[in-house]
Amino acid sequence: MIWNKIESSPRETIEQLQLSRLKDTVQRVYALTPFYRHKFEQTGIKPEDIASLKDIKKLPFTTKKDLRAHYPFGLFTVPMSEVVRIHSSSGTTGKPTVVGYTRSDMEVWDEVMARVFTMAGTTAEDIVHNGYGYGLFTGGLGMHNGAQKVGATIVPASSGFTERQLMLMKDFGATILAVTPSFALHMAEVAKKAGPDYLKDYKLKAGIFGAEPTSKGLKEEVSKAWGIDYHEVYGLSEIIGPGVACSCKKSDLLHVFEDHFFVEIIDPATGEEVPEGQRGELVITPLTKQALPLLRYRTGDITSITKEPCRCGRTMLRMESIVGRTDDMLIIGGVNVYPSQIEHVISNAYGVTLNYQIIADKKGYLDKLEIHIEVSDEIVCDNVAQMENIKKSIQAALLSNLYINATVRLVEPRSIERSMGKAVRIIDKRKSDE
Amino acid sequence: MSKIKQLSVFMENKKGELSDVMTLLSQNNVSIKSINLVDSADFGILKLIVDDEQKTKHILDDAGFSVKITDVFAVAIDDHVGSFHEVVSVLSQNDINIEYTYTVNNGQNGAFVFKVDAGDFQKATEALSKAGVQLLQKI
Repeated sequence: MIWNKIESSPRETIEQLQLSRLKDTVQRVYALTPFYRHKFEQTGIKPEDIASLKDIKKLPFTTKKDLRAHYPFGLFTVPMSEVVRIHSSSGTTGKPTVVGYTRSDMEVWDEVMARVFTMAGTTAEDIVHNGYGYGLFTGGLGMHNGAQKVGATIVPASSGFTERQLMLMKDFGATILAVTPSFALHMAEVAKKAGPDYLKDYKLKAGIFGAEPTSKGLKEEVSKAWGIDYHEVYGLSEIIGPGVACSCKKSDLLHVFEDHFFVEIIDPATGEEVPEGQRGELVITPLTKQALPLLRYRTGDITSITKEPCRCGRTMLRMESIVGRTDDMLIIGGVNVYPSQIEHVISNAYGVTLNYQIIADKKGYLDKLEIHIEVSDEIVCDNVAQMENIKKSIQAALLSNLYINATVRLVEPRSIERSMGKAVRIIDKRKSDE
Repeated sequence: MSKIKQLSVFMENKKGELSDVMTLLSQNNVSIKSINLVDSADFGILKLIVDDEQKTKHILDDAGFSVKITDVFAVAIDDHVGSFHEVVSVLSQNDINIEYTYTVNNGQNGAFVFKVDAGDFQKATEALSKAGVQLLQKI
């Protein structure tokens, strides 16, 4: 099922639409945002210089720092009377970033989220259990609006209260689950306490998961634990919230809703575009935003894109699941590692769970990496030597696949702190010494 | 049947860990028949034989431990030189691999506890009985 025919239109049609919308956006920020006008004047660029999509390279980048520097509403291009909604990031490091929506921005958001729900097979017949947090975080309300747009029945459960959520899912017969992947796994852990045939109580057929980088292994685990199709949604509040891209039934890659978001992949160090298929930092220019139009926003997310046609019939380009963040890439003894790669190795191991914590530290001048992994609820063998072998085989796989020397430590179930929202998997003790 | 149910508990090597488990078990009136702990640098596996293994497993499960119930068998120690050798040689002659073994005190006497591959369990106990080794029904 495809929500909007633009999703499967010829690429030329999509690109024509992108170009005309890009030109409008550039005109708009030049006329209305002193911050951008100043940048244009500094580099000698005029809105007329944008004659093709390739010309986007002439435009300046925007970063999270720029948003913070204009906290709270400095980059808005409309009077507050036209702003109908405010959202904000969690702001764990300093001031939060604040975003605003006009009525037309809200319509765009509903539209792209309706495409997401349709990709996951949601219709008016479905009951959507929404366990994303409602509030300033865009997850809860973004999902809510999309489900409403396709006419499904929404259960606005919000986050937390696992046992209660499971009861509601059972009693209301939820068919679509929308939560963070780590919470979905936590819910499954609790649901399994009812016995091995716990799935008979649930009617779920698909899930829409996002808001945190997720390895293939974790996705498979969630999909298996709930017996459902896994659809990954991508988005960020600076651009719109969830709904920038989503994976369909035919592929693990995520279709980007290109008529609203223009994407580029750049080398984070040089800012230059990398060839199609190569990984780099995702840069997004929203093409239809009214309240907060941004040019070439640097997401900090590492991914790659492909324009290869998809078997689902959509022609919109696809990006791979986020591999990591430019700022959570760990450099261990000169080797670049993303936590998701470590997670993938753990997911192939026997007798352990995907609850883990990566601790980077220094021993003298050398980097030291320790990984704590919780063993499964029922230990797979009660022989110390065999358990040691599990640990050694993970260490060997990390060395041969990722070229990192790590010490694995097996720890007791539920001894690593759980998070209801985003998972904090990395502790980098080297940073505090700086 | 000479199957003895043993609980195996995964434990991190950290201060107070063993004491926490013991406090939990004594508060719940679990009677411990035998304790054996084998450890490596950062974790160990505690092996317990108790009066009610299902109840004890529930208690430990609820407290968040990784627990498993394993079938083992026990033979009485006959206090003469070479008694352990006699038992082990019966197993080796029958091509049975011993995963681990330890001794426990059983009242006045002692016993050897053996863990073999589940597929070899019946073969092992039958061979021992045939060789005249006394298998204990309980510890």
